Amino acid sequence: MSLQDSLPKWASKPCVMGIDEAGRGPVLGPMVYGCLYCASSYLKELSSLNFADSKTLKEEKREELFEDLKANESIGWAVDVIDPRELSSKMLNKVKINLNEISHGSAMGLVTKVLSMGVLLTEVYVDTVGDPEKYRIKLSEKFPNIKFVVAKKADSLYPVVSGASIVAKVTRDRALREWALEETAENMHRNFGSGYPGDPTTKCWLEDHKHSVFGFPTLVRFSWGTCTSYFKDVVEVSWESDKVDEDGATGGSGKKQLRLSNVGITTSKRKSEEIESNAKGRCKFFQARKLEQLSRF
Amino acid sequence: MNAQNGRKGEATVDFDFDFGSDPKALDLSGKIHQLPCTIKFDGPCPVSHYFKPKSTGIEVDGLNVEEAYFRGRKLQGATISLPEGYSGYVLGKKSLGKSKSSDQCDDSSPWQVKAKFDNITYWNHDTLPSQDDTFQRTFHWLTVAQALHKPVTAEDLASASAALNNLS
Repeated sequence: MSLQDSLPKWASKPCVMGIDEAGRGPVLGPMVYGCLYCASSYLKELSSLNFADSKTLKEEKREELFEDLKANESIGWAVDVIDPRELSSKMLNKVKINLNEISHGSAMGLVTKVLSMGVLLTEVYVDTVGDPEKYRIKLSEKFPNIKFVVAKKADSLYPVVSGASIVAKVTRDRALREWALEETAENMHRNFGSGYPGDPTTKCWLEDHKHSVFGFPTLVRFSWGTCTSYFKDVVEVSWESDKVDEDGATGGSGKKQLRLSNVGITTSKRKSEEIESNAKGRCKFFQARKLEQLSRF
Repeated sequence: MNAQNGRKGEATVDFDFDFGSDPKALDLSGKIHQLPCTIKFDGPCPVSHYFKPKSTGIEVDGLNVEEAYFRGRKLQGATISLPEGYSGYVLGKKSLGKSKSSDQCDDSSPWQVKAKFDNITYWNHDTLPSQDDTFQRTFHWLTVAQALHKPVTAEDLASASAALNNLS
């Protein structure tokens, strides 16, 4: 999360903030939450700066506008870059956290951060893909002193959200462009494309970087449904934690997410003893330690 | 597998393997990972190019927590030394000739040490490592086994029977 250093004077007057996200849909790279805030009295002028929904702008124009708003002393901004490793692992955790929860957490993190800097936020405009009213209630409960306006397509309705969308989008594009690939395998390249599953360049990159054992480099969001189609011929991996999960599921709880546990697995369920030793039939000391006697191997 | 030589259920391991001129090449310490999953694959794999454990700086139960990702899941683990007096071995069959599927080779030749290691990194999915982890607890057996198999001295018997008498 990067923020401006010093607090301007106008920040102690009532302020308005917009929050928007970039890179929610892509199968690779980080997801970025961005916010832009200014004094309520500056809103009119902000509207004249020609911020539009970042998706309708060309990349160069977005970059230009981002540089403008960074130089503008009447505007403050902040970003939260969510690593694809974090997205995948949270969505594949034992207790799974879905993308909406991650998104809400990020947006609330931005509000907290800006408030703790001493900015007097009175109104916050938030873009959403999910149910606006539920989200608004969640935000209002957490920050009772702020008036929240949650709307779909808020990025094209409110200039302060359009500005936030530019912050988020430019940050996401730069982050992907400069992404340091963790893996050191040979023949890796950086033609990621946009990261959207339908982008031919992205498809090509995914095909080029598929690995039978590791799946993909960690730039890829393993929890995305798109990955499944690439994992058809990949080595099967069964997780001890998924086994526990299945046992628990027989008890009822129908609220299972997409069968992420089986990403890339096409064959039938395996028996537990193939996944790990269980010391069945031995005394408790061994069972508790999963110590099986193995005389032939 | 039906052992033709030796008793049923008995494996022979040849520990007198010549580690050659460069013993380090066959010391896999720091490269042995125990994952909380089964990977249905057996063979060489560019592990160090993809699996990148990092130290987190967090310490739990005296364990330095490491972090790595595999197939999109976050793993948290710790590297532990094998107890004193114990070593880890990677065993393989002696390769007699090139034919891979030779049953005769599988059955008659003893297991052989291919490499050794003195520490192992075990990984939990989504939980911090601790001394309560099953993997850590397996080592309790070594202490128990030692106590069980220790020769009993005359003094031991005397003190044990004295203790029994005191109880009754």
